[in-house]
Amino acid sequence: MSAEESVNAAITRRGLLAWLARGAAAAGVAALAARAAHRPSAADRQVWQIDPAKCTQCGRCATACVLQPSAVKCVHAFAMCGYCKLCFGFFQSGVDAARLDESAEKQLCPTDAIRRVFIEPPYFEYTIDESRCIGCSLCVKGCGSFGNGSLFLQIRHDRCVNCNDCRIAAQCPSGAIARVPAATPYILKDAERNPVPANRPAKWSV
Amino acid sequence: MQRFPQPQFETGYVVPTAQNPAVFAWLPPWLEALLLAAVLLLAAWLVLKRRSRPAVVLLALLCLAWYGFVRHGCICPVGATQNVAAATAAGGGLPWLAGFLFAAPLLAALLFGRVFCASVCPLGALQDLTVVRPVRVPRPLDAVLRLGPPLVLALAVLFAACGAGFPVCRADPFVGFFRRFAPVPMLAAGVAVVLLGTVLARPYCRWFCPYGLLLGWCARLAWRHAAITPDECIRCRLCGEACPFDAIREPRAPAPAGQAAAARRRLLLTMLLVPALLAAGALAGRLAAPRLALLHPDVACEAHLAEMAADPQARYLDAEAFRSLGRDPARLAAQARAVRARFVFGAGLAGGLLGLLAGVRLVLLARQPVRDVYTIERSRCVGCGRCFAVCPRHQVWAQRRRRNAALQGNET
Repeated sequence: MSAEESVNAAITRRGLLAWLARGAAAAGVAALAARAAHRPSAADRQVWQIDPAKCTQCGRCATACVLQPSAVKCVHAFAMCGYCKLCFGFFQSGVDAARLDESAEKQLCPTDAIRRVFIEPPYFEYTIDESRCIGCSLCVKGCGSFGNGSLFLQIRHDRCVNCNDCRIAAQCPSGAIARVPAATPYILKDAERNPVPANRPAKWSV
Repeated sequence: MQRFPQPQFETGYVVPTAQNPAVFAWLPPWLEALLLAAVLLLAAWLVLKRRSRPAVVLLALLCLAWYGFVRHGCICPVGATQNVAAATAAGGGLPWLAGFLFAAPLLAALLFGRVFCASVCPLGALQDLTVVRPVRVPRPLDAVLRLGPPLVLALAVLFAACGAGFPVCRADPFVGFFRRFAPVPMLAAGVAVVLLGTVLARPYCRWFCPYGLLLGWCARLAWRHAAITPDECIRCRLCGEACPFDAIREPRAPAPAGQAAAARRRLLLTMLLVPALLAAGALAGRLAAPRLALLHPDVACEAHLAEMAADPQARYLDAEAFRSLGRDPARLAAQARAVRARFVFGAGLAGGLLGLLAGVRLVLLARQPVRDVYTIERSRCVGCGRCFAVCPRHQVWAQRRRRNAALQGNET
């Protein structure tokens, strides 16, 4: 074998080894990604959501979110609401039950985000104005303590920027916030009566 | 909990249903994956074939706008490393797009080097575009600072795999800019890193980014890689001065015959240090494990419950929530025990690997390879194109190419 040939042979051997190493690394990377994603239930995308059954209304949703005001809002399951005249999600505790009106000092909500509308005696409808709601959960606590628990917190996906490490989830004391498939992005209290939750079907929502 | 029955309305009132906004995404997942692949290939072409620094900068600007300011930087390949670690530890369940985001830039690095860093990564682009007057860090200090990425990677994988959150995302200094909203500490950190980056180029990439470490390992094996000169090196050292990332090695003559023995002794000594560093790292990890485990919510909750039981004055939200939800302390204890065991194993392993890595780097530092031309250190090169923009041979090459293109244009 001449000197030139031996140099060529060495280069080929080296090249082959490099290809082997490259192939092994590529296979490793691909296998790792595939193994992480292998479970068939894995959705195309995942989003964060609050499980109302685990929420303890600590109030951190209002302050921990990277957005101000928070992406967490109060949601009303109308189908569960008792339409109470004296609503403990709407009024401060200790309010004079004989003189109920919508004056600010009697309201529990710090941002005046709940609208109270008379329907028929003795029923009132309560609606959340999400543009005002800060997700402080005061109303949720009141409704859950004395009422039907029809008010609950949800991460609203028109606001949530879907951080890879949700700061509210990290600070939630009861572990109520977890990833859910983007195809079913809400955990609703009246889910059986309200099965398809979407008023703005984004085309590529999943 | 239906304390009050649903009223029977007599006025024909219809109970409304709450409207829940759908999840918004700019692109369907397959298009997102396709776009990333296309951008990676384009970046590789611009760096390796077209050899154009302005084009690389333009692509970086576009990617900064899209992946940073439009997509808000989430989810990015740097963070996806943690998703992969968490899902692997949990036995699967990762959205395939996150897996693709993790794998694609690494595969691109195996083929073409760190082209992802050059012009695709929004964090890299932000830092690259704000380099003003780069200063060289002394090599020994740089060697120490470069232990940052492996440390961050080890912690990130450990925490993600143990279910204790994603530390890299929490420490991300730039994502506040992308969201155009951030708490003051995050904003301050971001401004500080950008200001630091005007003199110490790409500080996050070089001394923090855990994904850059993985990319660097892949880039060492790259099939094709960016070259400083299109043909031959004339040893003018302009490239070495132009590189703000210390990724270009100068030529080095063989050591004088008398020093060969000393060099061999030094190499042997560092090799002997490797097992010692490995053992020290494993021990340090093992010792740090209980403290690290306290950052897991279950372990923290168990500790807080114990503290509240001992001291009636103590108040912890998580322990109070645990009590009010009526959860089972025995189950929590079992979970916390499992987490602690995981941390002991994981931190020991991570520490050992860190020690091994430090040892291997020491051996590589002790080696004194002979180089006759300026060469790119592939694990460090981010393919920014500054070196070939200043290379005289590149100027000749580019001029000739322009002339040929003009001639061809005249012919047709």
